[in-house]
Amino acid sequence: MRTPSQRAVSPTGARPASAPALSKDSELAGAIKALVVAGDRDAARERFADLVASQQRRAVRIAYHYLRDAHDADEAVQDAFVKVFTHITSYREDLPFEVWFTRILVNGCLDMRKARARRLRWALPLAPAAEAPASEPVAAHPSAEDRLVSNERAREIVAAVDQLPDRQRTVFTLCHLGEQSTAEVSQALGLSEATVRVHLFRAVRKLRTLLSPERSLV
Amino acid sequence: MNRRHLTDDRLIDICLSGPVSPADEQHLAGCPDCEIRRTELASLLTEIDTAATIEADAAFPADRLARQQARILARIDQSGRPGRVIAFPAGYGHDALSTRTRPMSRWVAAAAAAGLIVGLAAGHLSHDFGTVGRPAVAHGAVRQQIAATTMREAAPAMTDDEFLGQIEAAIDRGGPAALRPLDALTPRAWEVR
Repeated sequence: MRTPSQRAVSPTGARPASAPALSKDSELAGAIKALVVAGDRDAARERFADLVASQQRRAVRIAYHYLRDAHDADEAVQDAFVKVFTHITSYREDLPFEVWFTRILVNGCLDMRKARARRLRWALPLAPAAEAPASEPVAAHPSAEDRLVSNERAREIVAAVDQLPDRQRTVFTLCHLGEQSTAEVSQALGLSEATVRVHLFRAVRKLRTLLSPERSLV
Repeated sequence: MNRRHLTDDRLIDICLSGPVSPADEQHLAGCPDCEIRRTELASLLTEIDTAATIEADAAFPADRLARQQARILARIDQSGRPGRVIAFPAGYGHDALSTRTRPMSRWVAAAAAAGLIVGLAAGHLSHDFGTVGRPAVAHGAVRQQIAATTMREAAPAMTDDEFLGQIEAAIDRGGPAALRPLDALTPRAWEVR
C-alpha cells in the first residue's frame, strides 16, 4: 500500500508552481533519504524495495541494451541500485530520481563495457561455435513476441543498433528505450541538450539507413 | 500551407518527443510526402523499441527480476552491517598468559633453573680446582716455549709438524695431571700426518 508520500505529486501540490512535478519515484527517493538521515535504516530499506520494483524493468532494459549480455546487465543493475542506496544522502530531491539513477546505471554499464573490452583484448579468439550469444532461459511456450525475437528482422534491428557509435547508442537508448527527454538525457550524461539532440538525430538517421537502405532522405 | 518539407531532424523530433507545433501539424495534414515519411519513421522507431524491449524482457523474465531484487536487498543488508569480529580462541587469550599458571609447571621451571645454576657452579669450581696454583707456571712455560720457537724459526731444518708438536708439548706440560694419561693415549699432530 502506498503512503501519501509515495503518491504522485500534482503540479499544484506543495512544490512551487514553476518547478516541474517530480515523479512518485522521486518523492519516494526523497522519503528514503529522509529515513536514512534520521537513522531509520530498516524502514528506508523497506521503502527502497518499492523503488527497486518500480525502476527495475526499465533499468534492465537499458543495461541489457548497453551490454548485450544478461549476466553483465544483471550485475550492472544490482550495482546501480546498491550504489543508489549507499549514496542516497547525496540525492537532490529537486531533481528527477530517474535522471540520477540513470546516470549511475549508465556509468556502471560504460565501466563494465570498458572492463569487458580489456578482458577481450587478452582473450583467445573463440571457436565459431562458441561465438553465438549465450541464450537465457525463456518461457517454455514461445509467445508471438518470442517469435518476433527470433525473427530475422529483429536480428537486423539489434545488429543495426549495435553498429551505432557508443555516444549515439547511449543517447538513442536513453531517449527512445529509456523514455527520457533530451533534457533529462543531457542531465544524465552531462552533455548539452543540443549535443544530445545531434547525437540522437544522427543515430536515427543511421538506423534508418541501415534498416531501410532503399529509403532516401528528402 | 508551408511549401517546404519538414526536415528529417524535425520529423525525428516529432516522433520522439511528441509535441507537434500547429504549423507542423498543418503542414503534415496537407503534405502527403511528409506524412508518409513521418509514418515510416514512427514505424521504424516502434519496431526498434519492440525488438529491443522484447529481447531484454526475454532475458529477464519475472522470476529473474524477483531474484535480482532479492539479491539487491541482500547486498544492502550486508553493506549495512559492521564487519564480523571473530573472537580469539580462549586458550590463547590474554587471560591465560597473565593470570594463573599451573603449580606443576611452576615447580618444573624452578627445578630447571636450580639445576642450571648448580651445574654452572660445579663446572666453574671443578675448573678452578684443577688448575689452582698452576696457571702462572703453565703460562710461563708457554711463554718460554713460544720464545724458544721464535728463536728457532730461523732454523731451516724444522718442519711445520715438529713446530706444532712442540707447541702442543709445551701446553700439555702445564695441563692437569689427571688428563695426562688420556693425553698420552691420543696421537700427536705429526703422528697423524
